[in-house]
Amino acid sequence: MLLLFATVPLVVFILFPLREGLSTTTVALIFLLPVLINTTYGGLAAGIFTAFAAFLAYNFFFLQPYYTFIVHESQDIVALVIFLVVAVLISQLVGQAKKSLAESMERERELSHLYEFSLALTGLNDVKEIAGVIAAQAFELFQASTVRVKVQTMNGEGPYFVQVPAQGENPEAPPRLSSALATARGSLGEIQIWRASGQEQASQERILQTFASQGALAIERAALVAAETRAKVLEESDRLKTALLSSISHELRSPLATIKAAITSLLNEQLTWEESARQDLLAAVDEETDLLNRLVGNLLDMSRIETGALRPNRQWNILAEIVDGVAGRMHRLLKDHRLKIDIPEDIPLVPVDYVQMEQVFTNLLSNSAKYAPKGSTIELSATIQGEELLVGVKNEGPQIPPANLERIFDKFSRLTESGKVSGTGLGLSICKGIIEAHGGRIWAENLDRGIAFKFTLPLTLDGMRPPVIEME
Amino acid sequence: MSAEPHILVIDDEPQILRALRTILTANHYRVTVTNRGEEGLAYAAAEKPDLVILDLGLPDIDGIQVCARLREWSQIPIIVLSVREAEREKVQALDKGADDYLVKPFGIEELLARIRVALRHSAQVKGSSQPVVSAGELTIDLARHVVTVRGAEVRLTATEFKLLAYLASNPERVLTHQNILTHVWGPEYADSVEYLRVFMSQLRKKLEGDLKQPRHLVTEPGVGYRFMLGD
Repeated sequence: MLLLFATVPLVVFILFPLREGLSTTTVALIFLLPVLINTTYGGLAAGIFTAFAAFLAYNFFFLQPYYTFIVHESQDIVALVIFLVVAVLISQLVGQAKKSLAESMERERELSHLYEFSLALTGLNDVKEIAGVIAAQAFELFQASTVRVKVQTMNGEGPYFVQVPAQGENPEAPPRLSSALATARGSLGEIQIWRASGQEQASQERILQTFASQGALAIERAALVAAETRAKVLEESDRLKTALLSSISHELRSPLATIKAAITSLLNEQLTWEESARQDLLAAVDEETDLLNRLVGNLLDMSRIETGALRPNRQWNILAEIVDGVAGRMHRLLKDHRLKIDIPEDIPLVPVDYVQMEQVFTNLLSNSAKYAPKGSTIELSATIQGEELLVGVKNEGPQIPPANLERIFDKFSRLTESGKVSGTGLGLSICKGIIEAHGGRIWAENLDRGIAFKFTLPLTLDGMRPPVIEME
Repeated sequence: MSAEPHILVIDDEPQILRALRTILTANHYRVTVTNRGEEGLAYAAAEKPDLVILDLGLPDIDGIQVCARLREWSQIPIIVLSVREAEREKVQALDKGADDYLVKPFGIEELLARIRVALRHSAQVKGSSQPVVSAGELTIDLARHVVTVRGAEVRLTATEFKLLAYLASNPERVLTHQNILTHVWGPEYADSVEYLRVFMSQLRKKLEGDLKQPRHLVTEPGVGYRFMLGD
């Protein structure tokens, strides 16, 4: 900047030795150069100042009589005056051009910021995040010292307050620029900008309007997306509830129907029953009662899992004891399959809730028995994998489509199978609830010929290994 | 005491009371029913029935409290009725003095069996228990500490025998983990279920033919064990 002061003296210095050889016109033309340079680099004011400085220097050093401000030759006076006029015009034009250029660049900067702002806002669905982006972008775009944004959606979300810089002091003065963030639907918030005085207020306000309306639209969009998502979730939840109620209703009332039919028949004094027929009816009632009991149990288990009331009473247990117990009780149910149990002798004590683990094995074996072809093998195995116990129940039933591998553990999901399958469809989701309550994971895999249910269980209880049993 | 044992049933469900009265009477028991815990306690004190069937789901008083209070002045056998999900409740009732339990819905055969066992146990004069317990192919000589399976002697360690003996001297009755641990290992082991699991597993391996369907050493899930005499 200070170099600009040197341009006129420099020209004087260069031309002085050539004074005699150059015509005054040439000198005048050359003096236009510093005016041009200083205007280009220093702006209009610098240019005007240089014009007058050049004018004076030209007169003083290069017009007879030298070293005075008097001019003798009338041609020289004309030259001088015209020089001044031209110099000033040049400063003005160049200054103006420079100013226009600066304005263009500024506008380009603003536009590119607005574009960036647009980009930054696309895809954002989180209102709080959007508020943050608005504040950060405004801080950049307006070269602010502090920006404050307040957002409140028409869904009632918020109000969120964002300040950039976050740890900044509270500005005492009112903001230089502020605008409401509003769309046609209404006001969504406000933006306040504090900045050192700089560019024109009017153009800044204009830009702020554009900026604010973009921000407001983004907020509105995010709020609408959120509302739509909520609606979808509610819809899905309703659908699930309907399916659930329908399913429960069927499952519970079917055995009741059998019982009612059998009992009313037996009560009917008009009918006489042969002993074997009577026994059949009564046996049916007995079986259906057991089935109802299981269904009710399943529903209760599911409720406990859902409400988080399933608190496993974990104690050190022998896995084989639990498995043997379940296998024994399911003897009849498994009569059409071969059950192979492979639990190594050296499996340590496992910290589980006995009854809940029985339920898991019962459900997995029962599921296998339901879907695996008659005569096929069901294999139950256990191994240690690091700090966990890994248990697998394999059967030769039909494969599960990969997209459903996780869904089968949802409530009431049932693979469409030919033929009716009994049960509430809760078995696997109960297994999942119990295993997860124990700190394990459960999943299903497709094998070459059949499927496997696998789950892990931690081998430590409160971080401790099983106690050592003092043997004799 | 009349020829027919006198059973007091305390349950708030009128249908159950009706059904049990009918069924138990048909099985040669004298039955009194009540739906209130306090009334039941008062009646028991006054009439001294031979056995009490107590539902743990009573609305007016905690069934476990009823057990505790009965036990304050009586050794009358108590069978509690509970539901599948309430293991802790069952265990508590048993530890507070109940003799056995049934899970609703129960089959009547089971109920009658439990009643028989409870009455037999209470009728046994203390100290005159059988020196030799015969259970199917299993014979346990409590005096000589000899155990045979189908005539062949089976070697048991001292603790294994102590455990077996304790179970066998309470045949057909459920014994809670805590009960067994306290009697066989001592009160400081009352919570060490792992000992019980390991030793029961060893006993089963030595004495039972089919581990999946043990004839004598039966697990009562979440509650304890039961020694069955078998066929």
